Order: sequence, then structure tokens, then C-alpha cells
Amino acid sequence: MTEAELDPVIHSASRLRVVATLAALGVGDSIAFPRLQKLLGMTAGNLSTHLRRLEQAGYVTQTKTHEGRTPATYVELTTAGRHAFERYTQTLTALLKGAQP
Amino acid sequence: MTKSLPDQPTPDAPEDDEPLDLRAGLAIVDAQRRAVRNATVDDRLLFAVWGAAWVVGYGARWWGATQDPGGPGEGVAAAVFGVCVVTALVVTLVHVLRATRGVRGVSRSTGAMYGWAWCLGFAAQGTIVGGLARAGADDVVITTAANGIALLVVGLLYLAGGALWQEKPLYALGAWILVMTVVTSLVGLPAGHLVMAAGGGGGLLVGALVATWRRRTA
Repeated sequence: MTEAELDPVIHSASRLRVVATLAALGVGDSIAFPRLQKLLGMTAGNLSTHLRRLEQAGYVTQTKTHEGRTPATYVELTTAGRHAFERYTQTLTALLKGAQP
Repeated sequence: MTKSLPDQPTPDAPEDDEPLDLRAGLAIVDAQRRAVRNATVDDRLLFAVWGAAWVVGYGARWWGATQDPGGPGEGVAAAVFGVCVVTALVVTLVHVLRATRGVRGVSRSTGAMYGWAWCLGFAAQGTIVGGLARAGADDVVITTAANGIALLVVGLLYLAGGALWQEKPLYALGAWILVMTVVTSLVGLPAGHLVMAAGGGGGLLVGALVATWRRRTA
């Protein structure tokens, strides 16, 4: 098993943080963009960039809605995203075990 | 109004494409898991608040009923109990609303339905007690029924919550509260108040300790 097997979309510090945060929510749960931003401590622009990349990979969906008159965006990990994250953490754990002396 | 984002990086900023150390990757996953857990509903806080409310509230009622039966002390004790319950209720509502803000979906609707189950349960309890009072039940019968039915609601909803979220400590606590409810009914009042203060409130405080230990070892 090599590092090449780690999903390159997730294998970046920022995107891993985004995906790990979304995966820690319950299945079928979505989170408002500002709340996610606060949990991650990222700037809005930085988070948007990474979400777009994750969305292109089919790992994340962003739903635009209105709460009263205020527009709101909710972010959710897709089933494919959750599976990819599970595969990623399994591979990571296996690689680390293999790396043990 | 849109905010300007002066520090918006270019897509795929170089630092994000740097190879991620494997251990650092695992640390990130753990840290984010903890961050989400710390930002969502804190069972330690809820158990501790309700445990304290029961110890103080039921303790006061036991004290009032034994030290000053029928006197003003019993009224003060009932007021202390009321303040404890209302305070715990307000802390719970504020905490849950804050912790779940910005999250929607399955867990929000599950939580809302569970929250309504408490409201409906206590509305039914109040109605039954009111019915008993109208039927001419004396104070001892009314207090015994009000206590017993309220505890039945609490015990059953903890059991349901434990089953729903697969939280064995919550399920065990529900079973424990039901045992305390039975004991309370058997010993009668005012000793039953002491059972609820020590056994019920104590059980909730043990629940807070178990929740704290589970977080540390998770």
C-alpha cells in the first residue's frame, strides 16, 4: 500500500479538515456555511474554494435557500463523499500501521 | 450586504497542495471530530444541570415536608423546586438551540420530535393531575401522582432516547429513574423526595461523570 492510494481530492490539509468536519455530523445532516466556517476557522473565500473542488468531485452538495429574507447556503457531505472519507481514513490507518517499525 | 474578502486565496493555494504527512492527516481527522463534538449538544452539561436541579429541588421538598409539614417552609421548598426545574429547563433549551444552530436535516428533525415528546408528556401529566384534583383527590394523592407520572415520563423518554441514539448510558439512566420511581411510590412521601434527590439526582450526576469519561476515552 502506498501514499498514491490516498484520494488526492481529500489528501490536502484544508479539504481533509472540511470533509472530516462534515463527516462528524450525522448522516443526512447539512450545516450552514457560516457555522462550518466557524468550526474550521477558515476565511469564507478559502472555504468556498475548497467546497467547489469537493463539489466537483461529487463529495459535497451546496444548497442555496432562504431563511426569512436572508439567503443561506447549507453544505452536506454526499454518500459518495462519506464513502470516500471512510476509505481515506482506512487507508491512512493502514499506511500508518505499515509504517510502524 | 456582501463583505469583501481581502484574504481570499487563489484556488488551490500552494500550501494546500503540499504533501500531507500521514500522522498529521490522522491528527486533523481527530481534531475535527472533537471540534464538532465540542460544538454540538453537550450531554455532560445537561446531565449535570438536571442532576443538580433534582438534588437541590427534591432535597428542598424533602426538607420542607419533614421540617415544616404544612407550614410556610413547605411552600418555600416547593418554590425552590420550581426554580430549579425552570432553571434547568431554560439552560437545556438555550444550550440545545445554540448547539444545533445552523445544522439541519435528520438529527434536527429527530431532536425536535424528541423535544416535543417531552412537552406532550408533561402536558398529559399536568392534565391527569388536574383531573385528579377536580375529582376530589387530597394533597397527598395529588403530589404522589404528580411526582410519579412526571418521573415515569422522564424514565420512559430517557429509555426512548437511549434506544434512538444507541446511547447505552442514557438507556441505563432511564431504567434507573424508573427503578427510583417505583421505590418512591413504595416508600411514599416525604421519604420519596429524598429517594429522588439522592437516587434520581445522584443518578443524573453519575450520568454526567460517565459522559465526561466517555469523551476523554473517545
